[in-house]
Amino acid sequence: MNGLLSMILWAPILGMLAVLVIPKGNDNATRWTALVSTAITFALTLVLYANFDQSIPGVQLTETLPWISQFHIFYKLGIDGISLPMTLLNGLLFFLCIMSSWTVEKNLKGYFALLLMLQSTVFGVFFSLDFFLFYVYWEVMLIPMFFLIGVWGGENREYAAVKFFLYTFFGSIVMLVGIIALYYATGKGVDSFDIIAMHGGKFTDMTVHIFGTDFSFERLFFWTMFLGFAIKVPVFPFHTWLPHAHVQAPTAVSVILAGVLLKMGTYGFLRFSFPIFPAASVEYSTIIGVLGLISVIYGALCAMAQDDIKKLIAYSSVSHMGFVMMGMAAMNTQGMNGAVLQMFNHGTSTAMMFLLIGVLYERSHHRWIVRPDGTKGFGGLYTQMPKYSIIFIIGMFASMGLPGLSGFISEALIFLGIYPKFTTMTVLALIGLLLGAAYLLWAFKRMFFGEVNDEVKEYDDMNLREVAYMVPLCICVVVFGIFPSPILNIMKASVGQLVDLLSKY
Amino acid sequence: MEYSIGNIAPIFLCPFFAFVINAFFGKKLPRQGDWLAVLAIFISFIFSLRIFLDFAGSTFATDYYIHKVFNWFDLSAGGQTFKVDMGIYIDNMGAIMLLMVTGVATLIHLFSTWYMHDDPRYGRFFVYVSLFTSAMLGLVLSDNLLSVFIFWELMGFCSYSLIGFYYEKEKAGDASLKAFMTTRVGDVFFLLGIVAIWQLVGSVNFVDIYAAIAEGKFVGQQVLGISLATFAGFCVFMGTIGKSAQFPLQVWLPDAMMGPTPCSALIHAATMVAAGVYLSLRTYPLMVAGELTQFIALIGAITAFGAATIALVQTDLKAVLAFSTISQLGYMVMGVGVGSYNAAFMHLITHAVFKACLFLSAGSIIHSVHEQEMPKLGGLRKKLPYTFIAMMCCTLAIAGVPFFAGFVSKDRILGDALFWGVFAGQSKIWAIVPILGFAGAFLTAFYMFRMMFLTFFGKPRDHHIYDHCHEEHISFNSNVPLLILTVFTLGFWYCGTLTGQSFGKVFGSKTEWFKILVEAPRVERFVGRTREPFSAVDTRVKAELPKAVYEHQTGYVGPAAGDEHGIHKAHLIGAIASIFIAFGGIFLAFLMYIKGSVKPLADTFSGWTTALKNRYYFDDFYVGVVIQKGMIPFNRFLAWFDMGVYDRFAIDGWAKVNRVAFRASRWFDDVVVDAIGVDGTGVAVNLFNLVLRIVQSGKIQFYFVVLILTLASYIWTINL
Repeated sequence: MNGLLSMILWAPILGMLAVLVIPKGNDNATRWTALVSTAITFALTLVLYANFDQSIPGVQLTETLPWISQFHIFYKLGIDGISLPMTLLNGLLFFLCIMSSWTVEKNLKGYFALLLMLQSTVFGVFFSLDFFLFYVYWEVMLIPMFFLIGVWGGENREYAAVKFFLYTFFGSIVMLVGIIALYYATGKGVDSFDIIAMHGGKFTDMTVHIFGTDFSFERLFFWTMFLGFAIKVPVFPFHTWLPHAHVQAPTAVSVILAGVLLKMGTYGFLRFSFPIFPAASVEYSTIIGVLGLISVIYGALCAMAQDDIKKLIAYSSVSHMGFVMMGMAAMNTQGMNGAVLQMFNHGTSTAMMFLLIGVLYERSHHRWIVRPDGTKGFGGLYTQMPKYSIIFIIGMFASMGLPGLSGFISEALIFLGIYPKFTTMTVLALIGLLLGAAYLLWAFKRMFFGEVNDEVKEYDDMNLREVAYMVPLCICVVVFGIFPSPILNIMKASVGQLVDLLSKY
Repeated sequence: MEYSIGNIAPIFLCPFFAFVINAFFGKKLPRQGDWLAVLAIFISFIFSLRIFLDFAGSTFATDYYIHKVFNWFDLSAGGQTFKVDMGIYIDNMGAIMLLMVTGVATLIHLFSTWYMHDDPRYGRFFVYVSLFTSAMLGLVLSDNLLSVFIFWELMGFCSYSLIGFYYEKEKAGDASLKAFMTTRVGDVFFLLGIVAIWQLVGSVNFVDIYAAIAEGKFVGQQVLGISLATFAGFCVFMGTIGKSAQFPLQVWLPDAMMGPTPCSALIHAATMVAAGVYLSLRTYPLMVAGELTQFIALIGAITAFGAATIALVQTDLKAVLAFSTISQLGYMVMGVGVGSYNAAFMHLITHAVFKACLFLSAGSIIHSVHEQEMPKLGGLRKKLPYTFIAMMCCTLAIAGVPFFAGFVSKDRILGDALFWGVFAGQSKIWAIVPILGFAGAFLTAFYMFRMMFLTFFGKPRDHHIYDHCHEEHISFNSNVPLLILTVFTLGFWYCGTLTGQSFGKVFGSKTEWFKILVEAPRVERFVGRTREPFSAVDTRVKAELPKAVYEHQTGYVGPAAGDEHGIHKAHLIGAIASIFIAFGGIFLAFLMYIKGSVKPLADTFSGWTTALKNRYYFDDFYVGVVIQKGMIPFNRFLAWFDMGVYDRFAIDGWAKVNRVAFRASRWFDDVVVDAIGVDGTGVAVNLFNLVLRIVQSGKIQFYFVVLILTLASYIWTINL
């Protein structure tokens, strides 16, 4: 179907405009408009899935229009097996997030408009095949995020928003150096911003002369790209913006941040760093793997010490994204597919966790597992909120990778991938798996077991709307835990092509 | 008999569907859907019985199996291939295991309809139990380690949920967390073992692993400086240590008694904990190839003896049974280690029967008197006669009294251990294994009868409790399970011959059905096997080698290299010793708790008793030292370091430094650069400033544009 990607890309913008023209005060109309917009977008991503040919390893459904002709910048979109799972995730999560944002009171119009704008930019990042276009989306995405955290966030929101912005922005600038260098390296020709044309290790033998010394082009600019993506993932030691951003962000933004935005970092590795600089990627894969391993263990250890459940889940994201990094560093079929699958699965399971924390926060207005004075923040939630507890258990066990739920398959594939390459690291990464169960179950025990606190007695169980936006995610984690093939079949051709390329170096 | 997916899959699927239906609609069904759960497991039982009769009934040979495979997912693309298959593998051991699991589970389901009927979460109990049963059956049907692991963890989840079933209690939360995390320690090793084997063999199918061992693929393979077979075998065995509560990961099982009693009977006595032993039997060739048998035997012996000593001082009825479970599992593991494959598996089956019955009897007592502290019981024999008979039979069985099931299986393990440790020509140090085994057997007889005497004999110690005890409740669902299980605590079921004409030859007969059906997998049979697709309808596959007869395999299975005479001698000594030891233990208990002529141990060895009451301080060490003193402070430090030091100083501090630099460079800009003109350094500093100005002005969009232009011009100046 022609123009499908553009439709998906611009549908949220149309929704945003519709939200903006609704006169102030019509809160329900605003909500429903946003919901319908994301529903249509999600339906379109499903149409995209139906139109996607899984046997093609390269990009497909491409659209090209001239944009800034004098610099050979194109509006070029396309999709392959690595970006499609992320697209589906993006479509689904925004739809659910709008449902979860029903209770937002403050400046409703602005909030929904920014969310829809954010959705469009995220699609843009995953669709762009023109480096300039990609960069524009990558950067513009920061603007709605900045305002969503800075205006609708918690008590310390401004600090978190600025920190998020500056940190990621810093990475982007360094990445931009790489993009511009590539523009010149390809000869400023018609392909100079074409990402696909750069694939395949064309820069392996090139050198660059800076400050009077010759550097390997590939090695140098691998690192500029690396920084931009690694901050986004975020991988240790660039992770400290994440707990701040998550804790301060409103529920829906946390969900999007953990569910989709973090994946842009690892997606960047798979789309840009690895295929454009394959030799350097193979050369530095150990560093990627080690940083991933440190993230896994460090994130898990920090998570265990948290008294704030949202911060705990934020650190758990660092840990889980570390698994993705390790899987990518393995650079074989199992590891790579595991990494992409983990990106998808982490998207659904972490989204569940953040949505659930949002549900609880609306009742409690705090998130303390243990308050600073040492008393229990919650207690007896199991008795008080049975439905909530069951969904929490599903999300929690999916997140820690219980077999039968989605997280397990991706983690197992990653372990199968890294073992031949980094045996010692596999052994250490398994500690992360152990800790992953420990911090979640320990928090669960402290929050859900025991007598019902007086305060908890006031809480209602989940209402129909809340259950409604949890159910699709529950289905995702259960179904893809038992039948991973629908997702794996999408990605395997594209991942296989990438692995083939990397295996030559 | 023909096997198709239609007559195998229901074994696993019936309880699974019962789980799904009850999970969603259980509350709307009459009786909260308990009948559905019972019916489902009963159908599974019928299908299992059919398979069992086919395997055991027609051809008396070890060399038949069913193996069906389907592709779970396939990642092959481009030049890369990688696929994951799942499948069903049933051999004689699997067929017996299926029968045991479905049979015991059916009875426990039935018992639960009585025991749990007042519980406010009656329906939910059956939801978990159905899921558990289907996972256990899935594990037994599995043809590869990966699906074993999947079901293994699912059972862990069910165990976690059922231990935490009474979630109003804080202690239930502690116990469930402890159970899950402790077994998880073993599980991550298990996963590592799977990954290591996969790397070498290309799959983790049992048949492929056996074939790889036979082909010598493991020979000379190293990982992290040790032999791959040892590494993988150790990792897989760590799974057993966790799941079967072996030393040093035994700490979770006693706490697991927080769960409802029928779940203790099913999960923490008969099936899940035995699955660990089942796994080590399935991977036995790997353990042999990895030269781990001595290690395994030692772990089993330490567990068998250590847990028995702790059981001596327990006052809680279920705690005694919990430690006796650990101890009996230790015997099974010891059996695996000493090469007593057949007897270890037989002990798994007999133990499942009598321990399930013991737990159900204990449940019956608890339900009647609402008390499980033995010092408050006593004299219940008259009030609960049927429970007493059932429990007495089981106690005789576990104590190793002849003609009961426990004697048949445990004696064989001990006999093999005696041969292995003393007569097989190993270093004499390994005599420790049979010594601990026999000592543990003595203690077992003692503490089990101590439990019986304290509960059922003597005068009631707490009249209030005694008087409030109802007369024994007689009903179908409470008594029939006990009755059936009691019948199967008799020994002849397990050592009868296949033709049925003789139940007599207990010692070393080669015609006993169990000995014929169960033997260690002989790996050379599995080389070059083709497997059936899932859709195929077929009969059992027959291996090519000559008909198997029970014997220790030379150089491969166990140490008993053809020394028939030695084995017989060891078994004869072992059997006589066992009988004396069993009666000795019973007699000592009699003297102490009925006659009162010997003072209880607690008075004589008070220091040791304290250690025993604290379970040798393992729990204190793990929770109090490793976690409370080690892990948590370290994590707190790390989290503080992350936010308070690294983020605050390295990240924010860097930003502050730049802000100072920005002010300096603005001055530089105004004064120097404007005067001299822009050079490379100036631009570089400018670049910094631009980022920082955003903090100050907030006009992000504007600076964004400026930035790109600046950078573009900057790059332009680099000579590419």
